[in-house]
Amino acid sequence: MSSGSLLTALILLPLAGALVVALIPREAQRAQKVAALAFTTAAFALSIVMLSGFAPRADMQFEVSRPWIPAYGISYHVGVDGLSVWLVILTTFLTPLALLGSWYSIHERVKGFNIFMLLLEAGMVGVFVALDLFLFYIFWEAMLIPMYFLIGIWGHERRIYAAIKFFLYTFAGSALMLVAFIVLYRAAGVRSFDVAVLVRQPVSPELQMWLFAAFALAFAIKVPMFPFHTWLPDAHVEAPTAGSVLLAGVLLKMGTYGFLRLALPLFPVAAARFAPLIAILAVVGIIYGALVSLVQPNLKKLVAYSSVAHLGFVMLGVAAMTTTAVVGAVYQMLNHGISTGALFFLVGMLYDRRHTFMIEEYGGLKTVMPWFSAVFLLVCFSSIAVPGFNGFIGEFLILIGSWAAPFMPGRALVVVASVGIILAAAYILWMVQRVLYGEVTRPANVGLPDLTPREAVVLVPLVLLALFMGIASPIFTRTIEPAANALVQQVRAANR
Amino acid sequence: MTPYGPIDLRPIWPALIVAITGVVVLLAQALTPKGHRGPFAALSLIGIGAALVAVALIATGRGRGAVMAGVVAADDFSLFFHVLLLGIAGIVVLLSPSYLRATGIDRGEYYALVLFSLVGMLGLVSCRELVSLFVALEVMSVALYALAGLHRDRLESQESAMKYFITGAFSSAFFLYGVALLYGVSGSTLLARIAPAVRAASGGSASMALVGAGLLLVGFGFKVASVPFHMWAPDVYEGAPTTVTAFMSAGVKTAAFGGMLRVFLQALPALAADWQPAVAALAALTMVVGNLGALAQTNIKRMLAYSSVGHAGYVLAALVAAPGIGTEAVLFYLVAYSAVNLGGFGALAALARNGREPLSFSEVAGLSRRRPLLAAALTVFLISLTGIPVSAGFVGKFYLFTAAVDGGYVALAIVGVLMSVVSAYYYLGVVVAMYMREPVGEDVWGPVAAPAGVALALSVFVVLGLGVYPAPVLAWARLAARSLL
Repeated sequence: MSSGSLLTALILLPLAGALVVALIPREAQRAQKVAALAFTTAAFALSIVMLSGFAPRADMQFEVSRPWIPAYGISYHVGVDGLSVWLVILTTFLTPLALLGSWYSIHERVKGFNIFMLLLEAGMVGVFVALDLFLFYIFWEAMLIPMYFLIGIWGHERRIYAAIKFFLYTFAGSALMLVAFIVLYRAAGVRSFDVAVLVRQPVSPELQMWLFAAFALAFAIKVPMFPFHTWLPDAHVEAPTAGSVLLAGVLLKMGTYGFLRLALPLFPVAAARFAPLIAILAVVGIIYGALVSLVQPNLKKLVAYSSVAHLGFVMLGVAAMTTTAVVGAVYQMLNHGISTGALFFLVGMLYDRRHTFMIEEYGGLKTVMPWFSAVFLLVCFSSIAVPGFNGFIGEFLILIGSWAAPFMPGRALVVVASVGIILAAAYILWMVQRVLYGEVTRPANVGLPDLTPREAVVLVPLVLLALFMGIASPIFTRTIEPAANALVQQVRAANR
Repeated sequence: MTPYGPIDLRPIWPALIVAITGVVVLLAQALTPKGHRGPFAALSLIGIGAALVAVALIATGRGRGAVMAGVVAADDFSLFFHVLLLGIAGIVVLLSPSYLRATGIDRGEYYALVLFSLVGMLGLVSCRELVSLFVALEVMSVALYALAGLHRDRLESQESAMKYFITGAFSSAFFLYGVALLYGVSGSTLLARIAPAVRAASGGSASMALVGAGLLLVGFGFKVASVPFHMWAPDVYEGAPTTVTAFMSAGVKTAAFGGMLRVFLQALPALAADWQPAVAALAALTMVVGNLGALAQTNIKRMLAYSSVGHAGYVLAALVAAPGIGTEAVLFYLVAYSAVNLGGFGALAALARNGREPLSFSEVAGLSRRRPLLAAALTVFLISLTGIPVSAGFVGKFYLFTAAVDGGYVALAIVGVLMSVVSAYYYLGVVVAMYMREPVGEDVWGPVAAPAGVALALSVFVVLGLGVYPAPVLAWARLAARSLL
């Protein structure tokens, strides 16, 4: 295979998998699961091939560009750089784990579940590799459909409400972005939707403000940034485990990635002017998410709100627009995907055993499920950025990178954001105390089975990766840095 | 010899073939003994197929660009619409046999009336002369009045026919009055002669031209069901037999927009600066009223009726653009819209049994369990109506809004996308019922008959195909749009 068609294969592989699963008879549920797992694993293997050929440079790699709708200057243009390559890996890594993690949790309409998971993966990969606005939008929107079904069919009690809310929120957000695409296309005067072409045709600062606002709204809802986060707790809590894992692990990153890939480079002047607002909202999100998590009686909701706080850190790094902070933001996207993905798996495993998310229903699990508790504790350490774990590196880079940020009051915000780290430790450790430690107060918890081998296979790679990324971070940051630096330089040059 | 020179009949071959087929179907009906089913659908399909062959011969041979007596043109524009309208009629005919049998109106004149109405539609998109255009409009409409009332024993069907007839007659009067005024300005009913006369008009005759254009806009506004001339649409769409509703929503709208484009671009380009703001206002109103109206519906057929009002608004939004980009966007969208509406109403019709079809949300609850393929097809149509990729509806709306922005009306595009968000709520309501709710009671709906299945599969193919690879149809639409200039 030529290096050019690798990304296309990475999109088509899950689609082919969906087709294969669709052709398997409805009764053969095991075959459907195996096929879906095989195709997603193959996609992961392929993404590792891509990684091995990826050079730490600032340019696009594995790039393909073919005319698609020439009359409108729309092309099938895909490629990866340091900002996106790890997000692609994160997607292909988490999807097979999500399938494996919900192997026995999904009993009904197994075929549809696997088809939608595969379609979702294709859409997610597509968003991260698309370099044409039209193509980006297609993946961005098309991905809503499988997630909508995953929440609405296989979710918990209030699944329909959550599915519709998720869909309408994100759809409303991106609707105005579509108009902004068109206005940009007309204003740039190059008759092209290619991001690389449009970046070289900066539009007037006044227009940039409007267009940036439209883009930012779409991305801020997806992230989600305070105050656009209200869809998130519903969607995360009601979704089945696999849906929550991918929603938190991958989908939220599309918002932050959208800022880095499109909003900043296309509208650098507006981005600099909006930076203080974004940074303030990010910090508000950090504190607000932490405070709400602190009082959550519902375990899954706690994890969901912690995402608001974590993504606040990422957005702080994005708004800082220094190389260090942007590298930290990308790194933190990966960290959050791993640690929160793992937390949702763990919460889902508890739910499989006890069918409740309420923290008060647990307690003393350490003695009942020692292995589970050990993994749980490690994942929590990763989530609250204990030194030696991945989260520490990401948040540290973001904070030092934001200290001297050019377009915003960095120091004040960093000080406030640091409070968020302490709050995170508080709500996570308090939750750990109530779930794992103390006496076993509920009879139902006595004799709960510990991790099964299948569950261990799902969790161990995540824990190992969290530790590895905490120790060997240069392996990752080395590949992220050139692209982050190029972006930062471009934004600064436009504001000079 | 006529005043126009020798008559070239080639442009009306397809319409002639369809008309003759209609007569043959009527004769076959007379010859079929009572209680027997005649081969009406098959005959109709053969006629439509033959007409398509004729279109192909004209398009590839020397008939392309031919004009019959200065009145009927076989330009790329009319050929594009011929293929589209014949395709629409073909799908309607495929959907019909099982539905007619299930509702007890399986008679030959149904097919004959569909074909006669089709003749009118074909004329509407190819006439270059206002009186012929009016005759075509009436041929199309009169056959549809009868079709709407085909359920003789159903009150709603009778109401539907009556309402359609009365509002149709009104709109015809407006249209005809507009024709008279334009004749007064130019002394001709030929579009090609009206254009220079209107351009040269000043003072009183200029205002006369403007009023004439306004009256034509009202006439077409009724036919495409744009606000404020849409009142009839929900009742008529709801009461008419469902396959007729499919034919009305796809065929009439397509043909009327075709005729409207031709008249306004060929005869009245000089007034563009005057009618464009009016069309923009109509577009915004139509989008808002149609979509908000659909939001309140509990009957799926009625909801789709309001939604089709909303979609007329999206199309109107593109008319404010420069003729080139606006026209091609409209043509592309009409293909997407027709496939989706045929599919949407067709899916309901395909389930008909014992005179009933699913109409409420609870009646389609859990449909994905009992008819997985049909539910999936209906979902594709609803996704396309919402304008979500990967579907023809998304690409179509993208072109329409690009055209609106191109014309300087960014606000129209914003109204359009916001209304798409509103529409997501009610379209997805059907999806929620089909996929996320449990079936209620016995499975009372019919099995999907083979021809209807083929029709739905074809619609799905068009919707997804245009969603993934729209370039060829877009290029064709561009060619057709250019032939109007």
